Amino acid sequence: MEKYNSQNLDALFEGVAQIFAEKKEELCEMDARMGDGDLGLTMEKGYGALPGILRENAVDGDVGMSLMKAGMKMASVVPSTMGTLMSSGIMEGGKALKGQAELGASQMSAYLSAFSQGLQKRGKCQPGDRTILDAIDPAAKRAAAVCDMGADLPQVINAAWEGAKEGVEATKDMVPKFGKAAVHAAKAAGVPDQGAVAGLYMIEGLKRSIDS
Amino acid sequence: MKKIMNAPEAYTDDMLKGIYAAHDGMVKYVNDDLRCYCTAHKKEGKVAIITGGGTGHLPLFLGYVGDGLLDGCGVGGVFQSPSSEQIYNVAKEVEAGAGVLFLYGNYTGDIMNFDMAAEMLDMMDGIETRSIVGADDVLSNANVETRRGVAGIFFMYKCAGAKAAQMGTLDEVLAAAQKAKDNTRTVGFALTPCIIPEVGHSNFTLEENEMAFGMGIHGEPGVWNGPVKTARELAEESVKEILEDMPLDHGEEVCLLINGLGATSQEELYILSGSVTQLLKEKGIRVYRTFVGEYATSMEMAGASISVCRVADDEMKEWINMPVHTPFYTQV
Repeated sequence: MEKYNSQNLDALFEGVAQIFAEKKEELCEMDARMGDGDLGLTMEKGYGALPGILRENAVDGDVGMSLMKAGMKMASVVPSTMGTLMSSGIMEGGKALKGQAELGASQMSAYLSAFSQGLQKRGKCQPGDRTILDAIDPAAKRAAAVCDMGADLPQVINAAWEGAKEGVEATKDMVPKFGKAAVHAAKAAGVPDQGAVAGLYMIEGLKRSIDS
Repeated sequence: MKKIMNAPEAYTDDMLKGIYAAHDGMVKYVNDDLRCYCTAHKKEGKVAIITGGGTGHLPLFLGYVGDGLLDGCGVGGVFQSPSSEQIYNVAKEVEAGAGVLFLYGNYTGDIMNFDMAAEMLDMMDGIETRSIVGADDVLSNANVETRRGVAGIFFMYKCAGAKAAQMGTLDEVLAAAQKAKDNTRTVGFALTPCIIPEVGHSNFTLEENEMAFGMGIHGEPGVWNGPVKTARELAEESVKEILEDMPLDHGEEVCLLINGLGATSQEELYILSGSVTQLLKEKGIRVYRTFVGEYATSMEMAGASISVCRVADDEMKEWINMPVHTPFYTQV
């Protein structure tokens, strides 16, 4: 699809819900080696609920407000740290789109940039700390670059996906600074960060929706 | 585990039902959510002060909602943060045209959720908020920014609550809380652990004659575990830590808060209070007002904390002496 509005925003996130349902076990296993082991559950539960939440909280003519409200509701569904970070990203993204009737190429780019900033602000993390941000930040930057050159929505999300993939690769050489992963730093060498992988899947899910 | 309850998973909500039933007319909940705890005495034009945090610390946090203190509280499960949506809904209810102050303890989950609630209020409703966290637990971290908030938050509640009752502006109420924060330090110690109902066993153990000095109110490890010391020895060690962190001059005045963690008798608290008062007197520090009792507990944990609040000026005395009345705390 080329453009979304507050009435069909749920369709944009259906692909994300699908992909996390498929990748739940994989993410839990990755996380169990480094952390709590609940990453897959959080992503599946939160993003699984999001399309329904978006349907129930659609604000007519305002995709930003719709996302903001949905992010807030999602935070109650998944109150863990990762869930709160995801919700913060969605809310920050919504804030950036406040008052906009449609979500197209430039809005997607703005959404991803704001999502990335939301993660940094709420999680107090920086690029290079080996977190989900290391997938989302390059994704947002790549999306912004092609958007400036006049790309359409499928091209923007594809660029974001390419950026996220490269970002995930780069985390193999990064040293974890946060959470239990920091305690298991030695085990992290050569392995991609599970949070960044989850970030890649989030982008991949959006891409799946847009391309379908 | 021996607890008076119906089911571990109903611990928080059953407690809340009991509170609303007992104190009908003073407090209420909104949004059909027991955990959105609000005063029933909203005052137009007053800055609304909202706190929040996990269950398991009564009278903290919700016990300070009432006349002359706070206006609302987001109630989390045992030792868990309330959700941003709950905080948001409380704020929407109690906001009275003068803005909202978020005043709570320095814990990661709480910070995330209060910050999110602040953004929602700003974006969706144009309601102005300010935030400040209690971070008085000296032994939790050398870095002031990352210290946990414990019983000393009482003085922040008292000062901010008084300034709001005097119809101060949002920034004035924030400044009152900041003044109390800057002048308050706490040291605590545990003698026995507590049990989270849904876990069913304590997450640490202490031998019969062992205590944990510097332990946090969720059982966060302290600075040493060792044989139980005398009240005088505990007073000396605690006051030493407090004064190293917040030096006081000869002749300065302080308020003293001797807080029980849940299972320690009032007799013991007064024994400790006597020792601390005597020690401060020997150091030439005047105790202006003493508070003894349970102000911030950790369910059935035994132990106590000592908070010292430097009385910075006459304005602060006025705030600390102002009468307040809530279902859990009355000061005349």
